Amino acid sequence: MSVTDLLQHSELFLGLTPEQVGQVAMLGQEVTYKAGDVIIREGDPSDEIYVICSGTVEVEVSRGTIPDVTGPPRLTSLARLGQGQVFGEMALVDRGARSATVRCVKDGTEVCVIPRQALWALCDSDHHIGYVVMRNIAADLSFKLRHRNLRMRLAGGEA
Amino acid sequence: MIYKVSYVVTGKPHLGEIVNLDAPPRVGDRVQLGNEPCEVVEVIELIPPRENFAYLHVTCRPVQEKK
Repeated sequence: MSVTDLLQHSELFLGLTPEQVGQVAMLGQEVTYKAGDVIIREGDPSDEIYVICSGTVEVEVSRGTIPDVTGPPRLTSLARLGQGQVFGEMALVDRGARSATVRCVKDGTEVCVIPRQALWALCDSDHHIGYVVMRNIAADLSFKLRHRNLRMRLAGGEA
Repeated sequence: MIYKVSYVVTGKPHLGEIVNLDAPPRVGDRVQLGNEPCEVVEVIELIPPRENFAYLHVTCRPVQEKK
């Protein structure tokens, strides 16, 4: 399956024509990760958005606001994401530092890495693409929040 | 149709998973969530479908594999 086909199975590009998804696919690069690889690290600058073509990743945040300088950072897992899911999308919206660490949990996980500036430039040059992508990012963030709320409800408030 | 599924697991702390599937999960299905074999106990529509995407919320319970 081509990158364009894979991206068409991601909600991020729902509502775009195959030609428009092809334009996005041309910006991206496919990268394969091993289990345990850190794909993005909390606090780092953010320059890309990621779409999972196959495999699974886990999203983690460090507990507490001050890093433990005497030992490894304590991490709490927030979510596990599989095929078709997007991460790093907050950077596309706010250009802030990475809010979480994302680690590959399945060997051979394939991810399409799309540079933020190139995607912004495409969204600026074609406002329909820009509107659709931003609407879909909002919908994706909303879905993740619903998932987290439901998980918290089951856990009695512990996320 | 593409099914965007939010999996949660009852009975123990578990991250669940969000994944896109080509077929909808059904009650009684066995799924592997992380290292945890689970059984689907409930499937509900989380939000209305958009174009070719359906949005489902699936509750699972851990099951013990027979040795």
